[in-house]
Amino acid sequence: MPVVLVTDLLFYVLIAALVVGVVNLRRSPEALRPWRKLAASRTAMLSAVVMLAYVAVALLDSLHFRPRLDDVEGEPRYAGEVVSVLDVMLGRLRDKDEKTYSAPLAAYAYVKELQTAGGEVRQEYPRLKHGGAHLDDPGDRAGDIVATAATGLLKGLVVAAAFALLLCGVLMRVKRRSFGAALAEVTPFCGAHEHRAVAWGAVVGAVALIAMTVGVLGELSLKYHVLGTDKVGQDVLYQAIKSIRTAVLIGTLTTLIMLPLALALGVAAGYFLGWVDDVVQYVYTTLNAVPGILLIAAAILMINVHMDRHQDSFNDIIERTDIRLFFLCLILGVTSWSGLCRLLRAETLKIRSFDYIAAARVLGVGHFAVLRRHVLPNVTHVVLITIALDFSGLVLAEAVLSYIGIGVDPVMHSWGNMINVARLEMAREPVVWWSLGAALVFMFVLVLCANLFADALRDALDPRMEKT
Amino acid sequence: MSEAVLSVENLSAETLDGRPLLDDISFSIERGRTLALVGESGSGKTLSALSVVRLLPEAIRLRAGGVHFRGRDLLALPAYRMGGVRGRGIGFVFQEPMTAMNPVKTVGDQVLEGVRLNGDLRGAAARRRVRELLEQVGLDAERVFGAGPHELSGGMRQRAVIAMALSGGPELLIADEPTTALDVTTEAQVLRLIKSLQRELGMTMLFISHDLSVVSNVADEVVVMREGRVVDRGDVRGFFKRQRHAYTMELRRAIPGLATCDKRLFDGGDVAEDMPARASADADDGAPLLSVKDLRVEFPVRGGLFRRVIDRVRAVDGASFELRKGRTLALVGESGSGKTSVAKALLRLVGVADGEIQFAGMDVPSLKGDDLKAYRRHVQAVFQDPFSSLNPKRTIGRALTEGMRVHGVAEDDEAMRELAVKLLADVGMEADALSRYPHEFSGGQRQRICIARALSLSPQLMVCDEPTSALDVLVQAQILDLFKGMQRRLGLSYLFISHDLSAVAHIADDVAVMHEGRIVEYGGVERVLREPRDEYTQSLLAAVPQLRED
Repeated sequence: MPVVLVTDLLFYVLIAALVVGVVNLRRSPEALRPWRKLAASRTAMLSAVVMLAYVAVALLDSLHFRPRLDDVEGEPRYAGEVVSVLDVMLGRLRDKDEKTYSAPLAAYAYVKELQTAGGEVRQEYPRLKHGGAHLDDPGDRAGDIVATAATGLLKGLVVAAAFALLLCGVLMRVKRRSFGAALAEVTPFCGAHEHRAVAWGAVVGAVALIAMTVGVLGELSLKYHVLGTDKVGQDVLYQAIKSIRTAVLIGTLTTLIMLPLALALGVAAGYFLGWVDDVVQYVYTTLNAVPGILLIAAAILMINVHMDRHQDSFNDIIERTDIRLFFLCLILGVTSWSGLCRLLRAETLKIRSFDYIAAARVLGVGHFAVLRRHVLPNVTHVVLITIALDFSGLVLAEAVLSYIGIGVDPVMHSWGNMINVARLEMAREPVVWWSLGAALVFMFVLVLCANLFADALRDALDPRMEKT
Repeated sequence: MSEAVLSVENLSAETLDGRPLLDDISFSIERGRTLALVGESGSGKTLSALSVVRLLPEAIRLRAGGVHFRGRDLLALPAYRMGGVRGRGIGFVFQEPMTAMNPVKTVGDQVLEGVRLNGDLRGAAARRRVRELLEQVGLDAERVFGAGPHELSGGMRQRAVIAMALSGGPELLIADEPTTALDVTTEAQVLRLIKSLQRELGMTMLFISHDLSVVSNVADEVVVMREGRVVDRGDVRGFFKRQRHAYTMELRRAIPGLATCDKRLFDGGDVAEDMPARASADADDGAPLLSVKDLRVEFPVRGGLFRRVIDRVRAVDGASFELRKGRTLALVGESGSGKTSVAKALLRLVGVADGEIQFAGMDVPSLKGDDLKAYRRHVQAVFQDPFSSLNPKRTIGRALTEGMRVHGVAEDDEAMRELAVKLLADVGMEADALSRYPHEFSGGQRQRICIARALSLSPQLMVCDEPTSALDVLVQAQILDLFKGMQRRLGLSYLFISHDLSAVAHIADDVAVMHEGRIVEYGGVERVLREPRDEYTQSLLAAVPQLRED
C-alpha cells in the first residue's frame, strides 16, 4: 500500500516542475544558449551527473509504502512500518545489525565482551554476526577484501563500459557520427583541447566513477560492514545513504518555499517602487535583524510541543519525523528569502529603467504583463544562480542545525544527526571515527559538486561574463 | 618642413584569432601640428592611438609596422621604459570623463600623482605645480584641489583630466573623442581650451573624433579611416570642399543642417521625391493635434524617517507648445533641461504636477482605463538607446506584435505576422528578422526595429527621444531620412527631442528651446536658428561646431 508523505509530495512536484521546465526550454533556442555552454563544460557535467545520482537516491527513498504481509480472508494485511523502495534495495544493509560498534570492514567487534569458551569465561573481542562471518579464518580477511573489492570494481567497469557503448550507439543514430568519432567523444579524459558541444566524456567519466564506487561498496557490503556499525549495531553506510534524502530535500524544498516569496516581493518592490518597495524593504530588514537561528529554534520547539500535545494525530513515527522535516524546510525558507529578494529588487530596478519597459508601457501593455514578459525572463539568471549557490549552504545548514539539536528529528537519518552522535564517539577511547567520517565524506562530495555546478552555471548564465 | 614628432608606419593589428582590425595604417605629425583621425565607430581610430602608447587590450596583437616618437622606435622599447614615454612624452585624454578619474581620490591628489611620477617635484613644490596646472586648464584651483570627482561637472572633470595629461609636460597630446560625452556649450569651451593650450605649450596633437565639423575646426591634417584602413587623407584647408574619396563625400553629405531639409542625407544628395519640404512657419492647417499649456513635472525628493517627501525637484517648470498634424516640433536643450521629462509626461510614464495636455480633444493627464489605452494607440515613442530598447529575451516578431495583441489590431497570428512583415519592409528590413533576437542586429538596425514597433499601432504622433544620438553619422543620416520619408507617406507628427541642433535644423518645422525646465524660445526653425532672440539660444547656437569648408 503506497504511502505519500508531505515532503514526498512536494519532492514529486519539484521533479515534475523540473521536467516541465526542461521540456519548455527546448522550444526556445535563445533560452537554450547558456545551457549549451553549460553542457560543454566538463566540470558542470561531471558534477551534474554526481548530483543526479544523489537526487535519484533521494527519489527512490521518497517512494514509500507499507509492505503487504499476508491476506486474511481476502483482505490484504499491511505491515505497520512504512518503508521506501530504497530500503528494499538496501535490504541486506538494513537487516544485518550487530550488537554494537564495529570498525569498518572488521570481522571482530570493537568492544570486548565476556565470552565463555570451553567453560572458561574470558574478556575478548567477539566475532561479528554478519561482518566477515563467511570467513573460517579471519586472518584471511585482507586477501578476501581485496578480491571482493576487485570483483566490485570489475562489475562497475563493465557497467560503465556498457553505458559508454550505449551512448556511442545513441550518438551514432541521432547525430550520425561514425563509430570512431562517437567513441572518441564519449571517452573520458581524452582530447582535452577539443571543444565539444556536450562534454560526454565527463558524463561517462562520472558514471564510471559512480559505478565503480557502487560496485566496490556493494560487493563488500554483502560480506562486511564497509563503514562499520554504530552504537546499536546499525550499518553506518546504510545510515549515510538514508541521509541523502534528508539533505537533498532540505536543499531543494527550502528553495521551493522561499522562491515564490522572494520572486514576488523582490520583483514587485523593484518594479512598483513607492509604498510597495517601502513595505517589502521594511519586512526584510526587520526579518534580517532577528538572528535566523533563533527563529528556527523557536519554530522547531513550537512544532515539537504541538506534536507532543496532539500525539494521537501523529501516530506514526515516520509521519512525525516527516512533519518536522517539512517545518524545518518551511522555517529555513522563511528566514532565507531576503537575500534573493534583495538581489531581485536590485536587478528589477536596473531592468525597469531600460527603454523596452517604457516602450511596452507606451504600447499599452499592463503592469503584470510587463512583469511576466519583460522583467521575469531577464531575472531568471539571478534566480538560478542563487538557487544553485544556496543548495550547498542549506545542506550544510541542516548539518549544523541537527548538530545543535534544532534540526530534523533525532530518529531521522541525517548527516547532522550522525555528526551529533559522533560528538560522544570522538570522546571515547579508543575513538570511533567512522560515523563522523562517513557523514563528512558523503556531504563533502555533494556540496563540492553543488558548488562546482553553481560556478559553472554562473559562468554560463551571467550576462556580465559573456563579454570576457 | 620640420621633423615629424610621431610617425606611424604600416601598422597592422589583429585579434588573437586572426581577425584583422588595423590594416596598414601610416601617418605622421610634424611638431606643433594637429592630425585628426576621423571615422565611424569600429573604424580603428582608438586602436591606432592605443597602439602608439602600447596600451592595446590583451586580446589584440600588433602584426606589423613601426611607431617612431621623436625618432625612437616605441615598439622596440622595453616595457619598463614605456612608462617614461607615457606621461612625460605623450599625454592622453580619454573620451569619458566620468570613468577617467578615480572616484575615491580628490582631484588634486590625482593630478599630483601625475606630477610626482613625471618630474622631480615633491612636497609643496609639487602641490604648487598642481595648482598651476589646474589654473592653466581654467579651473578654480582652490576649490577643485580638495574636491572629489563627483563634485565636478562633466566639463570640469574633462578639464581636470587634461590637467593630468599635461602634468608630465608632454610633447604629444593624444585626445580620444575628448568632447563627445559633453554638452554642446561645454564642448565648445573644452575645444577652445585644448587649442589654446596647444599653442601656448607648443604641443603636437593627435585628435580623434567622429565629428567632421569638430575636426574641421581643430585639425591641420585629416586622416579618414574606415574598417581599419586609411581611405583618405589631406590638409584640412579645402579638405571638405574639393572632390574627395567617395567615403569622405558620403560622410560630408550625411551632416544634417538647415540647408539639407529637403534632401536625402544618405544615398545621393539630390532632391528626392519622398523628402517633404519644410512646412512654412505660419501655415495654419486647422486645430493643433497636440497642445501643451504650462506643463509642470515634479519629482519628489525623499528623506528622513519613513522616507517622507521633503522636497520636490521641478524638472519641467511651465512648458507650453503646440504641434499640428504632419509637422515636426523639435524640443532642444542640454542634459538636465527637462526635455525628456516632457516626453515622459506626454507618454504618461510620469505624472503631471500641473498644466494641460490636450491631444485631439483628449485631456491627457486625466485619462484612465480604456481611454488611456485608446490614447496610447495614437501616441507612440522611439527612444535613444537602441540597445536597451528591445528585450534581449524576445524575438523581433514578438516585439512587433506585442502592441497589436494588446489593442486587437489584427484578428489572428497570421494577420499579425503579415502586418509585422509589412512594418519591417517599411523601415527597410527583411522579413527573416522576425524570428531573430535583438543581439543579432546592429544599433542602426535595432533603431529601425524600434521605429517599426512604434508604427505597429499606426499612431498619429511619434515622440522621438534623442533617436539618433547613439548612432554613427551615416546611420543617423539613414534614420533621419527614414523619419522624413515616413512623415511624407503616413502624415505622422513628430515631437523630436534632441540636443543636436544640426539634426534639428534638418528635420524640424518648429523648435522649442528648453533651459532649466522652461521653454526660453519657441518658433519656426528657420527663424529661431537664424535670428535667435533669447540669450541662451544665442550661446547654444554659437557653440555648435560648424563645418569649415575653406
